[in-house]
Amino acid sequence: MDIKDPIKRMDALAKARGETKYLSDYRFEGALYSRMLRSSIPRGRIVDIKLPALPEGYRLITYKDIPGKNALQMITADWPCFAETDVKFVGETIGLLVGPDRELLQKLFDQIEVEYEAQEPAITIAEGLACKGGAFLNGNNVHCSLSLQKGEDIEAVFSRAYRIVEQEITTGFQEHVYLETNAAVCTKEDGRFVIYASAQCPFYIRKSVCGLLGLKPDDIIVRQTATGGAFGGKEHFPDVLCGPLLVACYVTGKPVRLVFGREEDIANSVKRHPSRVRFKTALDKDGNILGMDSEVVYNVGAYLASSFVVLQRGCFHVTGCYSFPSERTKGIGVATNTYPSCAFRGFGAPQTLFAIETHMNYLASLLGKDPLEFKRRYLIKKGELTITSGPIIEDVKLVQMLEQVLKASGYAEKSKAYAIGSGKGIGLAFYNHGGAFTGNGESAIIKAHVKLVKHLGGPVEILCGQTEMGQGFQTALRKIAAQVLEIPPETVIYDNPDTSRVPDSGPTAASRSTMVVGNLVYKAALDMKRRIDAGEDGFEVETVYEHPEGYPWDQSTFQGVAYLGYGWGVCAVEVEIDKRTAEPVVKGIWTSHDVGHPIDELICHGQVNGGVVQGIGWASTELLQNIGGHFKQTSLSDYIIPTSMDTPTMSVEYVDNPYPWGPFGAKGMGELTFNGSAAAYVDAVSRAIGKTINAIPIPSEVIMDYMLDKEASR
Amino acid sequence: MNYVAFSLKQALEIRKATKARVMAGGTDLMVSAQRGEGMMPRFEGDMLLISHVDELRHIGFNASGELEIGALCTSAQIAGDSRVPWALRAAASRMGAVALRNCATIGGNIANASPKGDLPGPLYALDARVRLLSVDGAEEMLVSDFILGLKKTKLKDDQIIGAIIIPKMDEWFDYIFWHKIGTRRANAISKLTVTMAIKLDQQRKIVEDFRLSATACGAKTNRSREVESLVIGKKVQELEDLVAPVQEAFDKVISPRAMPVFRRTATKNMIADFFSRVARLPEERNME
Repeated sequence: MDIKDPIKRMDALAKARGETKYLSDYRFEGALYSRMLRSSIPRGRIVDIKLPALPEGYRLITYKDIPGKNALQMITADWPCFAETDVKFVGETIGLLVGPDRELLQKLFDQIEVEYEAQEPAITIAEGLACKGGAFLNGNNVHCSLSLQKGEDIEAVFSRAYRIVEQEITTGFQEHVYLETNAAVCTKEDGRFVIYASAQCPFYIRKSVCGLLGLKPDDIIVRQTATGGAFGGKEHFPDVLCGPLLVACYVTGKPVRLVFGREEDIANSVKRHPSRVRFKTALDKDGNILGMDSEVVYNVGAYLASSFVVLQRGCFHVTGCYSFPSERTKGIGVATNTYPSCAFRGFGAPQTLFAIETHMNYLASLLGKDPLEFKRRYLIKKGELTITSGPIIEDVKLVQMLEQVLKASGYAEKSKAYAIGSGKGIGLAFYNHGGAFTGNGESAIIKAHVKLVKHLGGPVEILCGQTEMGQGFQTALRKIAAQVLEIPPETVIYDNPDTSRVPDSGPTAASRSTMVVGNLVYKAALDMKRRIDAGEDGFEVETVYEHPEGYPWDQSTFQGVAYLGYGWGVCAVEVEIDKRTAEPVVKGIWTSHDVGHPIDELICHGQVNGGVVQGIGWASTELLQNIGGHFKQTSLSDYIIPTSMDTPTMSVEYVDNPYPWGPFGAKGMGELTFNGSAAAYVDAVSRAIGKTINAIPIPSEVIMDYMLDKEASR
Repeated sequence: MNYVAFSLKQALEIRKATKARVMAGGTDLMVSAQRGEGMMPRFEGDMLLISHVDELRHIGFNASGELEIGALCTSAQIAGDSRVPWALRAAASRMGAVALRNCATIGGNIANASPKGDLPGPLYALDARVRLLSVDGAEEMLVSDFILGLKKTKLKDDQIIGAIIIPKMDEWFDYIFWHKIGTRRANAISKLTVTMAIKLDQQRKIVEDFRLSATACGAKTNRSREVESLVIGKKVQELEDLVAPVQEAFDKVISPRAMPVFRRTATKNMIADFFSRVARLPEERNME
């Protein structure tokens, strides 16, 4: 059997039957409920907190209850567990009201009054950069920045350019809309704090919150509960729940529980970073690109958390699947008084990939060239340098993938047949996603370990920190081990991780789980197979990540081989616009992806379906405005994600391009699938209405504005 | 105090005695009363649940040949009943998601008086009436008179909506237009819904009747008999010349606060589209 042949998902039956227990299904003896007291203003000083008389057993936990350091240790530690005197965004945690009765707790909660001295906030990227209301960070509101340059000095290129084209492209907030809202419980078992959480990264939680009590990560146990979706929204964000819960459990000595409601979750959780990308491109007189300069600005929000790494990845992907003789980019993470943005499928890459594709289409239209032919000339190849001046070290099969998509979609005929502005359009995008942590991050920062156990006279068990969140990893990883060991995958034990039982194999993030952790399990299984074949039983094998030699990376200068393997994608989208009402209908979607070698084609198919639709949602209907610091669309009837009725059957194809350091040749693909559909969709709409579109999302009322040549009316 | 009625008589008596607020499918009220994770919705004041009152669940023609739809008929039931005029069936079939359509009732959709409600648009254009019941008797009025504005109706505190009555119409309208611009293609709230209907004379030359309503363009569904009179009595060949005056007149009737350019432009475009299609006297009666 080829590893890619689909098998039944291990978690499918229990989930379909409703038997799977999610966090809110757990009961803890004597548990307290909790409500988060949050800032209702985007910027200001807390003058007073007026509490009603609290009956016995009810208590407001604040920063004053923290015995250790008031900080959540994400990638940086600037986000406090509880606000002390200043608040910097709407939704910032001020306290946690805890108590045994939910009704009474709610009644008391409604009586709390926080008095503020409000200050003028900065909400948008422009307001943040202009330090509206006065800078609140570093004197300039700049959280982080970086610069990259490849090839000839871009200023010299500009000085001899025949023509210079500038374009600004913006993208908006996006909400993750995981099916299960954020939820966690902190309790004490046998004298140790134990956190149960709907989360992607149990080891991140431990590290992030232990300092609140002056403890070490090992002193706290984190157990992942079945997680109903995450998309990056449960990478670092669970820390924001688990920190206050840990402090509350410490103070009260009781289990404390927090489950967000849907509107509470949308209004008070991290989002995808809004972006503004400005390109300045030098052309010669024949319309060839001599060089491209760009400025990438991400709206980070009030705290940095993980955003510098998000910004870095954005900058590393700003030239997309292309290589130009000279490239330069500058990235800026701007501080604003909005909810901090954080990880979201693609981790900074989708914004710049949308921008570069849209800019390439714009250049082609200015030059009167066919956009596909124009883009093809610059597709990067093996050995060519990326913007970090390191080479692509794998075969790039984009041309072969393009042929698949062209054939399936009828792109060539349709793009000729559908006149610009005719109401019909087909668009196409190239995209990629660097797999796993950037550069040497996997060896320098993560140092993943996994264990494979052969229980004496019993089954094989996988011990690692990787989490199932709906993507299918518990099935994929079992398949990898089982295929090597030549045993049925359903006999392999692989439970939701418990940090006291499993080694730290790094976060379930960055499209690294199959590619990196899968390979550690693969190697462990090979070793185990040899020993079982030699008659051994009752032993364990541990493997540790080692970075291949010869692919240097300098994290201080961001120079070198940023990624050993990329996922690559080509996506075509066809739309029809109702000229009366500007309503778009997606008529067809055709894709091809290079994921190395798929571990399970059906699981990959699910990722392609979901990623592509989520990308189109980001570009089309998922308008999320922040008005005066408050998110405006906070329910699922206002925040509009696409339904199956909005989505036609999708053509899903792959090219085989086995990755030498992946299990059975597999690479990462979870984020890749998100990265291109927005650009293809906007390309199609742009052609259908005959207008240049340089901002997303574009719900029908915005398409109408473009059709009428009006400034966006909202 | 919460009450559950098991017959119409009981419902009307409880309503009269307690003035409890009436709830049927609960798809609007339960959402509005939600209080967060794990907590039961809570209402201010008394509630009267009438979803068990079977007398209000029928669809059928009355002695005058008018179609009566019981107030407790769900959207799913209405969407699946071929006796119901097409525009209303279409509106019911595109309301919310499947589960909601199995609960939400026509009475509730009217009583809720949301500016974006799905059913009032076609009901206005159809001259539908609402029958209000109380212990002391029944009264009827046009749905368009019953709905006063945003979340406001003429429902008295002892009344329950009994039925919606649609004048005989399918055979005397020659062309019907209904188009909902939703936030997406399913499970969507209306951004704009336009309903139009035209009746021609026997020679199919003169417009004998014309109806035009727009939903989600103001505090309540808009309809103007004055605007309609611009078209009534005119020749079919003149329809395309009437586009501009009707667009202009109706533009003064609607009052969208958010997205005004979009809503005004799309309304105008739909009027133009319907008129130009009808001017060609096509076979198809129903247009979207």
